[in-house]
Amino acid sequence: MKNLVTEEEIAHVARLMKIEIEDHSEHVEKVQKMLQYFDILDEADVESEKLEYVGIEMDELRDDRYTPYDKKLLKFLKTYREKYIKAPKLS
Amino acid sequence: MNLSISALDYQTSIKNGDFTVEEFISKSIEKINSVEDNLHAFLLKMNDSALEKAKEIDRKIKSNQNVGKCFGMPISVKDNICVAGYRTTCASKVLEDFIAPYTATTVDRLQSEDAIIIGKTNLDEFAMGLSTEYSAYGESKNPWNTDYVPGGSSGGSAVSVSANECVASLGSDTGGSIRNPASFCSVVGLKPTYGLVSRYGLISYANSMDQIGPLTKTVKDSAFLLNIISGIDPNDNTTRDEKNQDYLKDIDVGIEGKKIGIVSEMTSSEVLSDEVLNSTNDAIKTFESIGANCENIELPMVPYAVAAYYTITSTEAGSNLARYDNIRYGYDFDSEGFEFNSYISQARNKLGPEVKRRMILGGFVPSAGHAGKYFLKALKVKSKLVSELKPIFDKFDFLISPTVPIQPFKFGEIKDPIQFMKIDYNTVTSNLTGKPAISVPYKIVNGLPIGIQIMADSFKDHSLLQAAYALEKTVKLPEVPI
Repeated sequence: MKNLVTEEEIAHVARLMKIEIEDHSEHVEKVQKMLQYFDILDEADVESEKLEYVGIEMDELRDDRYTPYDKKLLKFLKTYREKYIKAPKLS
Repeated sequence: MNLSISALDYQTSIKNGDFTVEEFISKSIEKINSVEDNLHAFLLKMNDSALEKAKEIDRKIKSNQNVGKCFGMPISVKDNICVAGYRTTCASKVLEDFIAPYTATTVDRLQSEDAIIIGKTNLDEFAMGLSTEYSAYGESKNPWNTDYVPGGSSGGSAVSVSANECVASLGSDTGGSIRNPASFCSVVGLKPTYGLVSRYGLISYANSMDQIGPLTKTVKDSAFLLNIISGIDPNDNTTRDEKNQDYLKDIDVGIEGKKIGIVSEMTSSEVLSDEVLNSTNDAIKTFESIGANCENIELPMVPYAVAAYYTITSTEAGSNLARYDNIRYGYDFDSEGFEFNSYISQARNKLGPEVKRRMILGGFVPSAGHAGKYFLKALKVKSKLVSELKPIFDKFDFLISPTVPIQPFKFGEIKDPIQFMKIDYNTVTSNLTGKPAISVPYKIVNGLPIGIQIMADSFKDHSLLQAAYALEKTVKLPEVPI
């Protein structure tokens, strides 16, 4: 197998994405297989292809102004206490 | 009263007074209650509110008040599209308690035309999959044979329409998620041009390709629903003003003299089954018999489209799913005693295995050191696919292929992730390029459906529907055996 992405690399990315991979081997193997399939992109003749970006004029965007939102979103929060939202501590 | 009638026939029947809205809704609820144990199309039934709304619309009809075009027809909505006040789970445990605070534009427009939302339908978790096997709440079953998958990710939507639990459904399509289950369950599924239909209120998977569209019993019904849900929306900047085009108008104009390209790569791929190939060849003959000119064309980027699609969508999904940290949305999970990062990874344990894998892929392919190999190349494939299609659509009106290279498969039958991805072989091209595409039921072989895909140039949705209608008119299929 060529260019096999290592288990360590995958575990590292999982950590960065804040994903716990409890059944480590199954995830790693499937992700490896999928990435290996993506190698087919190397065969595509796209070297000369230029990526075009579509720009949007500022005046086409929604007006940058405050619109009050009347749907009482806070009542949907499970961790809302008086005027605070309870969140885990940062250490 | 026949629950299998189309949306347009329903409309006529109500106008004629053949039955009341309440009668039809009650009968639909009975149907849902009798088949759901078997099929599991719905994650949420909205029986009570549906009945109440039905009575209200009946009163309006009786007192000669204005009634919307849908006349109370029962419509189901994929559970990644928000309906205010109701649970919207995306078939994920992470959102098991999430109540949508607002309604999606598409649903809002249907409700303003007096459609009745009858329930929220099952899908693969966060729309990532093509069989509903990845739903955290259990799979839906194919009404044609319950040992087989209904396709996905809008599997529940396709099942609900196919099994006559409702008249029509809204699904979403990022890589084939409307067309694939439409093909597997023998219903019509339309992915409109990118920008034709608002996605406001659709829970994001991969924004550069996500699109909402109808799953219906007939092509005309898809045109009818597109009339209602399409159009500009200030809440979705990708929407374009199509000046209230009437997609039903001249739908029966036929296909005489039109030029159709047969996509060679999609009719010769290694994944294509003999049954599907035979049906496709048959459909080509049918198109010619009704006056179209069919010719083979080549799109050399198609063999790379699946890899490009998964690379781009995983990247976008990785970023979209970052919001599921359980602090702003989610389920009951006390943050006491946790450090920030470990809390989030703990909370994310409620994500299913496929979603986790896509997040890992989505972190990997655009990362420093790998972006050049994966993500940028995928974008180039996408861009080249667009340029390959340009001269083709100068010459051809439509492109055709099988919707899915294989027929429905048994639950658990396909385990290899690459084989699984390749099922999207024929559908992802229209998402990568933003083109509209539709799946039309064409054959039942060995008791299981096969659909034909027609694709057109951007914003040619109207002529796409005309071509689909021309094909549909030639087809006579058996009733669903449920």
